[in-house]
Amino acid sequence: MDRNQIKKWFKFPAQMGHKYSLWVTYFCTGCGIIEIPPTITARWDAERFGVIPVATPRHANLFLITGYVSVKTLKAIIKSYEMMPDPKYVVGFGSCPINGGMYWDSYNTIKHLDRYIPVDGWIAGCMPRPEAIIIGVTHLWTLIDKGMASGYKKYREKYKYYRENQEKVLGKLEWQPLFPLKESEEVK
Amino acid sequence: MATFVPIKRKRGSKMSANKLQEEIGSLFKNITLKIAKNNRIFILAQKEQILDILSFLKNKGFDHLELISCVDWIKKNQFEIVYILTSYLLEDEKSRIHLILKTRVSRENPEIMSALPIFENAEFYEREIYELFGVNFDGNNRLIPLFLDREYKIPPFRKDFDTREYVKNLYDSILPVEDKNK
Repeated sequence: MDRNQIKKWFKFPAQMGHKYSLWVTYFCTGCGIIEIPPTITARWDAERFGVIPVATPRHANLFLITGYVSVKTLKAIIKSYEMMPDPKYVVGFGSCPINGGMYWDSYNTIKHLDRYIPVDGWIAGCMPRPEAIIIGVTHLWTLIDKGMASGYKKYREKYKYYRENQEKVLGKLEWQPLFPLKESEEVK
Repeated sequence: MATFVPIKRKRGSKMSANKLQEEIGSLFKNITLKIAKNNRIFILAQKEQILDILSFLKNKGFDHLELISCVDWIKKNQFEIVYILTSYLLEDEKSRIHLILKTRVSRENPEIMSALPIFENAEFYEREIYELFGVNFDGNNRLIPLFLDREYKIPPFRKDFDTREYVKNLYDSILPVEDKNK
């Protein structure tokens, strides 16, 4: 263990705990899922970084969107994201969730994922190598350290606008709003 | 313990492309037939004959409908429906024939008889074509949404569907959340 971090462990134990135990749920939307098995298994062994795949979004706090997002999957992504407990981090994986990628003029693929749910980080590439995922995780650590990975707070504050965007694409959503649809809400 | 008994292939018989060509040519009028290499036969038929030809071919041993697909020929104002058939039952693998049956329907009133009475697996191919091209299959009662979640004014795989304009009007018009506060 890094001796310089001992102070931090005493000062912010919860934050350090979150940082080193990112439990991941993978949303296998596109081709990116093919990079996940080598990452989590013996070859690259993401468990060294505290990244463990879990069965359901209710156990997870890191959400990897691996590949393009069609309109139908966007609905499932929003549902799964709202199921996850706080604090939760989203990482868009590959160039398709960033700006559409090669599906930039597709009739059925949404172009910018961060307009529908908050995204804390991107891993660019088509497809990124397993090393890139691990580098992405270490970048996420620094973001958590500095308190910049606050997408879940932003989702609560600006839920009205996110919901507006979601309903524009998906039509009327059949589930109740997660948070009250006010302008903004005070978050601790 | 149950023992494994391999299925005996009864209907197997040697079939040559030339023989099949003669037989089809004598039975059906108004069709053009072409033999390409590798035992590949192309048949271009009228849309009224499709069910007859399919049932004839099924009795001949073409028991597997691989695919139904659709091509939009916008300049000729026609849709081309393509049926690809092959056989599992023929014993000699080298004499297996790949049969491609094509027909044209008009774009104004795209309607064709469903192949459901002959091949059961046609249902999903027909639903897909109905959804993406808007071709109506007469006799298929389950033409309900399959893949798409949104409703489109023009079916999205038609050539006159302008994807760029659609993307511009829908996905590009959605603003980032940060911009909405201002």
